[in-house]
Amino acid sequence: MYEIWLTLNILFELGLQYLPAVIGTMLLWLMLFAATRPGVGWRRALLPAVVVGAIATVITFFITPGMTLSSFDDMGYWVDWMNLFFYAAAFGAVAAALAWPIAASLCRKA
Amino acid sequence: MSDKPERLSSTQPADGGRRRFLFGASALPAVAGAGLPTGLALASTPARAALKTAARIVIAGSGLGGLAIASRLARELDGAKITVIDRKEIHNYQPGYTLVGTGIWPVGKVSDRNADLMPQGVDWMREMVAEFDPEADAVVTDRGQRIEYDYLIVATGLHLDYAQIEGMDVAAIGSKGLGSIYPGPDAAEATWRAMDAFRQKGGSALMTLPETFLKCAGAPLKVTFMVADRLKQAGTRDASRIAFHSALDNIFSVPRINDEVLRRWEKLDIPVTFHSKLVAIDIGSRRATMARPEGGRTEIDYDFIHVVPPMRAPDAIVNSPLPWRDGGFAAGSWLEVDPKTLRHRRFPNVFGLGDVNGTGKGKTAATIKKSAPIVAQNLIDVIAGREPSQHFDGYTSCPLLLREGSALLVEFDYNNNLTPSLPMIDPLQDSYFAWVMKYRLLKPAYMAVAKGRV
Repeated sequence: MYEIWLTLNILFELGLQYLPAVIGTMLLWLMLFAATRPGVGWRRALLPAVVVGAIATVITFFITPGMTLSSFDDMGYWVDWMNLFFYAAAFGAVAAALAWPIAASLCRKA
Repeated sequence: MSDKPERLSSTQPADGGRRRFLFGASALPAVAGAGLPTGLALASTPARAALKTAARIVIAGSGLGGLAIASRLARELDGAKITVIDRKEIHNYQPGYTLVGTGIWPVGKVSDRNADLMPQGVDWMREMVAEFDPEADAVVTDRGQRIEYDYLIVATGLHLDYAQIEGMDVAAIGSKGLGSIYPGPDAAEATWRAMDAFRQKGGSALMTLPETFLKCAGAPLKVTFMVADRLKQAGTRDASRIAFHSALDNIFSVPRINDEVLRRWEKLDIPVTFHSKLVAIDIGSRRATMARPEGGRTEIDYDFIHVVPPMRAPDAIVNSPLPWRDGGFAAGSWLEVDPKTLRHRRFPNVFGLGDVNGTGKGKTAATIKKSAPIVAQNLIDVIAGREPSQHFDGYTSCPLLLREGSALLVEFDYNNNLTPSLPMIDPLQDSYFAWVMKYRLLKPAYMAVAKGRV
């Protein structure tokens, strides 16, 4: 329980550290939703959004070690791989969230 | 205060914007989702009802320990007069010194404004405690102000005793192959300049460890590992020698970590000489004088040296009734606290926090993370007329840099037990996770500690 609390606090402090990027991304996300018009295909847009997220996850997975002054050679055990995956998945989730309203606008209901 | 307890009888490169953005963005899902609202709640919600009291509490020092406990007490006490005494305007993130000193972080990442971290509801007196008078429940500042208290928290940190090394000049750090990360961010940056110049040509590196208790006992080991890695990166390792001289019979007080590091250094061709203490240095000639316990002295020429200074309690503690009077902690005049409650053994209205404590293990920011809530609760217990209810187990954590990109996440307690926070963590395993912890995640955790939230 304490570790969850600690993790939330680390994320909060990271959020404060990168506050302009956090606010900017949230505003962009809200603006993309606001820009959608009635009748857009939210449900049909899920799949392309997930695909975008998955692609972002894969790309992030491969570039993150280098971005953190490390490399795949430094992955010592499964905990390292799991952490790398979660970092990449977090970035992929952001990409999916941003892609969803865009995809919805492009996928109008039949 | 009427409920004060009766006195007992006597007896511390490169970091691009893209990289920062990537990791900022990686935190977005949690922050943009549950994180921000949760975080706002984190910042404002007390864990329990505040205890009403008119107690006057003085906190000597505004390092991590002083800030952490000030934040907690300001939240958990209603009506207390809390005074923090410390002149420093800049709060330095000391765990970052090894990163700056080895070229991993730019120096700008380790300094913040103390005013941004000082909790609301406390009086911040920008002076220094010059005298402790626990028999009269008072402290005297360097401007001569006498401050009386009902309860005192000693969180002064420690003194870097470079004066014990004949010929040492802190101002010369960064020149003539002289490195020492300890005095502050500028010294850490200067140490990297000296190390960077050294690694271009290679040569002889002399790494030292004093016999005194240390803050972050892993730091001398981290710098040693990183010197080897920087030489290897520069292609000059084969033409270089690294020698580690320890004034003790070990290099780390936890036997399993000691043995593990020695095993790795043997593979890295880093010989260790025990019972060899740096006592003098000729900076211009790049020559160190090492002394052995039996009295022999040896002069060693070097191209790069990392000086770890002897450490002791600050003068104001040394010249007060507060230090240990006998035993192993008396030599450094460390604060005489009970290792479990961190309450002073002779002055029951005095508690100690962080580097200044005469307790069994070296202190790190993780020590504060674990012990500040304990001291806060124990003080609240005492104010409420109860005996301290919380016991500290000596928990300390040290992400031990092995090379750029990998570290060990070492956690241990007073009894030398390895105590990983999460069961899946292998403290003896080279780890990217431990590296990212040190490189990216520990400072946010540190800030949460300073704000009294974790």
